[in-house]
Amino acid sequence: MSCSSDDLKAYVVGEMTRQERGMVDDHVRGCQGCREELDRLNLTQAALVSLEDEEIPRRIAFVSDRVFEPRWWQTMWRSGPVMGFASSALLAGAILVHGFEARPIAVATDAGLTKQISELQAQRAADIAKFNDQLRATEVRFEHQRQEDLATVQQAAEYYQKQVARFEMASNEAYKQ
Amino acid sequence: MIFREVEDRDLIAKARRGHVEAYNVLVSRWEKRVFNYLLRLVGQREDALDLSQDVFLKAYQNLKKLDDPAKFPGWLFRIAHNEAYSLLRKNRPEGEMTVEPKMAEASGGLFPIESTLAVRSALAKLSDDHREAVLLKVYQGFKFEEMAEILSCPVSTVKSRLYTALDLLKQTLAPVNSGGAE
Repeated sequence: MSCSSDDLKAYVVGEMTRQERGMVDDHVRGCQGCREELDRLNLTQAALVSLEDEEIPRRIAFVSDRVFEPRWWQTMWRSGPVMGFASSALLAGAILVHGFEARPIAVATDAGLTKQISELQAQRAADIAKFNDQLRATEVRFEHQRQEDLATVQQAAEYYQKQVARFEMASNEAYKQ
Repeated sequence: MIFREVEDRDLIAKARRGHVEAYNVLVSRWEKRVFNYLLRLVGQREDALDLSQDVFLKAYQNLKKLDDPAKFPGWLFRIAHNEAYSLLRKNRPEGEMTVEPKMAEASGGLFPIESTLAVRSALAKLSDDHREAVLLKVYQGFKFEEMAEILSCPVSTVKSRLYTALDLLKQTLAPVNSGGAE
């Protein structure tokens, strides 16, 4: 290390690392000029710090002033628990209102959508009418078939009754002979 | 020191939420240091007291702008520096940079009264910039980087001002130093 007045000042005001201070200490031991300069700086520093602080004549204090106090909403906004409770209460209120509210049926305001709905409703009515027609035709067809089957059964029954009567007559005549 | 820093941080947090009493505790911790810094800078007790009140009022109003509570000391002294220089610029014509401070009489101590008066006189003969560098380093213990932030100037400028001031003080106080050393 070479002679440096700035290094000596940094040493005196405590702006050196331990390693740097060691280097200055080593240098000063072998350099009378720097040793004397360091002594002068230390004396100057000692003279400066001998100046005592004065007591403040009047204590500085602030009173609670409404200008600087936070508003009620600022206080609430900054409070986590209060905000959490308020949010929960708001959510619960919204759920209640939603539950009891008489909600009107949504009316489609779009003309295209209204037309589409009308067409679908007409198509649905036509399909229902067609289905009903087919159902009625089927019922008529089944009724005709039933009547025909019933007539056939009656004819068969009459035939068997006649046959039974004929056999009875034949049997009676044979018994008489 | 760390414990004290945590306490200051807690007080700052409370003051930010509008707790005036917490801020008053913070003020009570720092008012003497701020007052003496301003007194040695502007030289007038009443001015220093008025400035101190302004400094703490501005600090309270701007406390939310303080990003890191650990930097409160430097931030507070930056406000004090700005307030002091506003007054110095207003009170002094261009070019007239030094005044004889009218401070209280010395109240004794390790050095004799002559030494105390000599130190005050030597400080008063420095320019404001040089004197402020000595005040922030020797009396308030700020690091060069912190001083650079307070003064809004490069660290190299801070060093230059302080070293020049120490050279001037060394010359001015030489007779006192010799007397004290004997």
